[in-house]
Order: sequence, then structure tokens, then C-alpha cells
Amino acid sequence: MEFNKRVYSIFLFLVAAWCGLIVAAPLLASYTQLTGVASQVYSLFSPICHQFDSRSFHIAGEKLGVCIRCSSIYFSFFASLALYPLFRRLESFTVPRIQWLILALMPMALDVMSNLTSIHLSTTVTRTISGIMFGGILPVFLFPPLVEALSQIRNRLTLRGGIFYARKAQ
Amino acid sequence: MLEKPNKLRIALIAGVIMGVVSSTPGINLINCCCCAGIWLGGFLAMYFYKQQFTEGMMPLESSDALIVGLMSGVAAAFTATIIAVLILLILGPVEAEFIRSLMEKILDRLAENGSIPSDTVDQLREQFERSVKDSARISGVFGNLFVTLIIYPIFSILGALLGYAVFRPKHPPVPTPQA
Repeated sequence: MEFNKRVYSIFLFLVAAWCGLIVAAPLLASYTQLTGVASQVYSLFSPICHQFDSRSFHIAGEKLGVCIRCSSIYFSFFASLALYPLFRRLESFTVPRIQWLILALMPMALDVMSNLTSIHLSTTVTRTISGIMFGGILPVFLFPPLVEALSQIRNRLTLRGGIFYARKAQ
Repeated sequence: MLEKPNKLRIALIAGVIMGVVSSTPGINLINCCCCAGIWLGGFLAMYFYKQQFTEGMMPLESSDALIVGLMSGVAAAFTATIIAVLILLILGPVEAEFIRSLMEKILDRLAENGSIPSDTVDQLREQFERSVKDSARISGVFGNLFVTLIIYPIFSILGALLGYAVFRPKHPPVPTPQA
């Protein structure tokens, strides 16, 4: 398999696994006796999300591993990454203009700031939409430099007689 | 061509900043927004690294972003843990009481403003008490270190890659020749 396709497949799998864990937490808590495991999964996400019950989606009466906004970001990231080959070549290392990223980030920034200053309380709809916008655009900014970086590291290892790739080159 | 700047120094500086932000009560709430503090730390690390480049040096590459992000994420995880342990050892219960009273004031103000619902205030109080208990146990400290050693480098790399996308040279570097 071409190197770029391999990187894409692995990256997509890792993101899918991450999203799977987010959904696994409530399912483990609700439908199995593995509440200890569910608790560990929730703990994994606790450094990166407040996990407030009132601000999380629920499955079977239990909250997801992360809040509404974070869930929207991660799931839209996964969806966008899954569709990535349909609208961009995996071999392309170019990224769009940074203004698009700022544009996608603005709704979330406004939603958070207006909530903190009590100008406007964020709702499930605003959190979901702003999260989807940000998460959806991230792959086009992250995947090209990621695959370029891994390609450069791989080439350097091969040139220097690195362990795995040099053997394969031979 | 001159060699690129040293990555370790920049990674340590950015990692320490991230670690301080992540372990300072109040400021660490920024990480509740999808680890925004760590994203920004990785982004900042790339900014600092880009500033070190001078004319005649080999150009900035995306692999630099990946390595700087990884190193600064690891540094942040250790820094956050060390600071948390130091605070606990030096101040112990005094610090916990001080932070508790500060948190109560902040929570009351946020609840009064209507920024967060009252059940969320209770959840925040619960989380705080749990984190105080965890930080007082060695297993809690190592458990936290283990989780942050996974989480922080991931988000730091992503932040650094975003930083590269912003700060990348206008003329891309010549690709490293393949063997």
C-alpha cells in the first residue's frame, strides 16, 4: 500500500477508536456489568473535558465520554476525515488559507465568550453547530502536514540506514 | 546550510508553560474546552521555534512540528504533575482550603450570572473534591501522569501541526531525496 494511504488508514482508525471510546463509556455503564471499565474510560477523557451531565449527549441514560461541544468536534472530525479522499488527494501537502480556519473557529469562540460573559447562554444547538464547524475543517489543516512530516521522517530514517525502512529498501 | 535550531530548548519552554497553565487552578479550566490549553501550547511551541530560524538555516519542515509538538507535550505532562505534587507537598491542606474558597466564590458568581446551571455547579464542586482526594494519593498522581502522557502529546502535536500550517515557509522546502 502506498505510504500516504497507509498513514491515512492508520490515522482514520485511531480517530475512529477515539470516537468509539467516547460512545463506549455510556454503553459499558448501561448495558454491561463493566462499570469499573466505564469509569476508567470516563477518567481518560476527564483531563480534556468537563463532562458535565447537563451539557453532554446521553445514550441509554448515561452521558457520553465528553460533552456536547467536544463530541461534535470529534465526530465531525471523523466524518470529515472519512470523506477526505473524496475531495482532496492524499498526496497533496497543501493546506487552505488560514482565514478559513479562523472563520470556522469564530462561532465556537463567540459561543464560549458570550456564555462566560452572560451575553448569551450557549445551547445544545449552538454548541453542536460550532463544534461541527470547527471539527469538520480540521482534517484539511492537519492531515497534509502530518503525512508530510511522517514522509520526511521516513525518508531520513531510510537515508541514515534506519532500522525498519532501510531493510525494506534493500 | 546551517543546522536548524535546537528543538529541546523550545519544547521545554513551551512544555513548562503548558504544564503551569494545566496545573494552575482556575486557568486550567481552559483545558476543559477540548484541551485548548495544550493545543495553544503546541501552537506556541511552533511560533517560538519559527522565531529561532535565521537566514542561511535549513528551512522549517512539518517533521519539525511533529517532533516539537511531541516533545513539548511530554514536557507539559511531567511539568503539570511535578507542579501539582509540589503544591501539595508545600502547602497541603492550606492550599486545598484556599483553592476551595476561591472556587466557591467563582462558582457562586457564575451561578448568579446564569452562566452555568445550578446542577453544573454541584458537579464542579464534586469534581474539585475528587481531584483534591486524587492528588493526595500517590496512585492518583501516577494515574494522572499516565493519562496526561498520552493525552498531552497528542493534542500538542495537533497544535504544532496547526502552527506549522500557519507559519510554514511561503516556498515549501525541497523534499528530502528518497533512498
